[in-house]
Amino acid sequence: MEEVLEVPHVATNGDRPAEHAPRAAVTGASLVGEDLCLAYDEREIVTGLSVAIPTGKITVIVGPNACGKSTLLRALARLLRPRRGAVLLDGRSIHEMPTKEVAKQLGILPQTPVAPEGITVADLVGRGRAPHQGWIRQWTAADRAAVDGALEATGTLELADRLVDELSGGQRQRVWIAMTLAQGTGLMLLDEPTTYLDLAHQVEVLDLLVDLNQRDGRTVVLVLHDLNLACRYAHHLIAMRAGAIVAQGPPGEIVTPELVTGVFGLPCQVIRDPVSGTPMVVPIGRHVNVADEG
Amino acid sequence: MTATAVPARAPGEAAQHVRRRTLARTTTVTIVLTAAVFVTFCVSISVGDFPIPLRDVVPAIVGAGTDDAEFIVRTLRLPRALTAVLVGAAFGVSGAIFQSLARNPLASPDIIGIDAGACAAAVFCIVVLHTSAGITALGALGGALLAALAIYLLAWKRGMSPYRLVLVGIGIAAMLTSLTEYLLTRAQIFEAQRAMVWLTGSLNGRGWEHVRAVGIPALVLAPVVVALVRPLRLLQLGDDTAKGLGVRVETCRLALVLVAVALAAMSTAAAGPVVFVAFVSAPIARCLLHTPLAVGSAALVGALLVLLSDLVARRLFAPTELPVGIVTGGVGAPYLLWLLVRANRVGRGG
Repeated sequence: MEEVLEVPHVATNGDRPAEHAPRAAVTGASLVGEDLCLAYDEREIVTGLSVAIPTGKITVIVGPNACGKSTLLRALARLLRPRRGAVLLDGRSIHEMPTKEVAKQLGILPQTPVAPEGITVADLVGRGRAPHQGWIRQWTAADRAAVDGALEATGTLELADRLVDELSGGQRQRVWIAMTLAQGTGLMLLDEPTTYLDLAHQVEVLDLLVDLNQRDGRTVVLVLHDLNLACRYAHHLIAMRAGAIVAQGPPGEIVTPELVTGVFGLPCQVIRDPVSGTPMVVPIGRHVNVADEG
Repeated sequence: MTATAVPARAPGEAAQHVRRRTLARTTTVTIVLTAAVFVTFCVSISVGDFPIPLRDVVPAIVGAGTDDAEFIVRTLRLPRALTAVLVGAAFGVSGAIFQSLARNPLASPDIIGIDAGACAAAVFCIVVLHTSAGITALGALGGALLAALAIYLLAWKRGMSPYRLVLVGIGIAAMLTSLTEYLLTRAQIFEAQRAMVWLTGSLNGRGWEHVRAVGIPALVLAPVVVALVRPLRLLQLGDDTAKGLGVRVETCRLALVLVAVALAAMSTAAAGPVVFVAFVSAPIARCLLHTPLAVGSAALVGALLVLLSDLVARRLFAPTELPVGIVTGGVGAPYLLWLLVRANRVGRGG
């Protein structure tokens, strides 16, 4: 497999008229990683990787465990400082910018956010407004509108006074997305937002992200485990293996049995998803029909 | 989805409603706690071997009472009560910061070895160096800072794991406590007694120099605490989330740790380790407020706890006075047991 088959054309998204709060502050700042070397302590995970996130689109990063997809996402969100190379947000190095300024343009939902004991949904979502507040500027009408807009968009408005501890997994995930949404950024990065959710809630969360993308032209980047859902919900798919990008592009163009076998080391067939028309991966393990084998 | 009915509200009002309710609750709790502190403060000044009628307390404080009352109040009881308020408030804030940073109710300075550091250093000063009270207090301050540094360095491993912080802290506390015991076995009987009184935590004979020793740093640190509460609220959501929301995580955490250590250390230096005040104040405040962070109320609860405990300690076996630490220990120990039992049952290890 070739590394980095193509770097897509970075589309620019014109300003769209505002309809609902919360509006993205800057619709689609561009996000580019240049020659990234990413490491934890001595362990180098990603070496010399370059990537451009298409603006105003949904990008999904897939790959086997420990391929560096979460590491890449953390670097793009300036949570991890690259050993070499740079992440550019609208052409400026993200690690050179004041972190609060970045927080006004880029929101990140980490894999395991912590909800402190006894916090209400409204309080948690309200904390997403932190980048817009300062010493003088306290809680304003804009904050109020952004929080309620985020609650409404995620269908959590009626949970506003509930305790986060008491919610179901799906509700809790939507509340966390609401918090990231209240931040009002044009770029949203989410690290495995569907982990621990059942299928119905996975689809619900992904549908929500598509709504946010279509409504406001937000750029959404997420790491996903489920290839078939990734194919359905991505405009742009990035397949990673061993710290490198193996292929990227629209799922319909790049997902082939060869790619999946190359990336995951698993034989498979790729057929047309009868519902969405996107590629659907059917894995072939050592056993394929246990009931018949018996 | 839940079956909860959607309340009919104007747009932009749902979260605002919750906010307003929290604000109303905070205001009420703050007013009630402040009133309780004030009343206990006055009662504490009023009672004693020479009782001063409650209505004469405030005039005596401001210098409009009789000469006798004024002497007793302004020289003896007022500084003691003020020290109690300051020490309690400082312990309360210190505990609230530590527990929120570590996201663990066990991570208060009296459990994780900050106070133990102060004690070991103070006993070393008393027993080995034969120092005066002032130098002993400074030594306690240094001991607390050293203990904090040791815990921070040992618990640091690519970031700060709350669980490791508590475990390392408890280990350090155990080591320092055995060091203290060893020093006591080596001491002369008179010095050992002096050290023991200090170790129990006592407000006996606290004068204006103690008020100044705690009050001035407290005044300096108060605005710093106010400034750091906002990042602390975000740090409660986890390091990555806080960073994503624009918090300079390492800088803010270091500042918070330093402030919390300084508050615990200066209180311990002035009154000894008044155990469990830092440990229980913030949880009580959070229960009253129904919010995950309640620094201001934790200060008020701490002040109230120390004032009440000192009142009980003074009057329970009057004219014999108990050290205040015995009373706070009696209140705090059951809570610690309850917390450990509950943590084991929930299976979170605290």
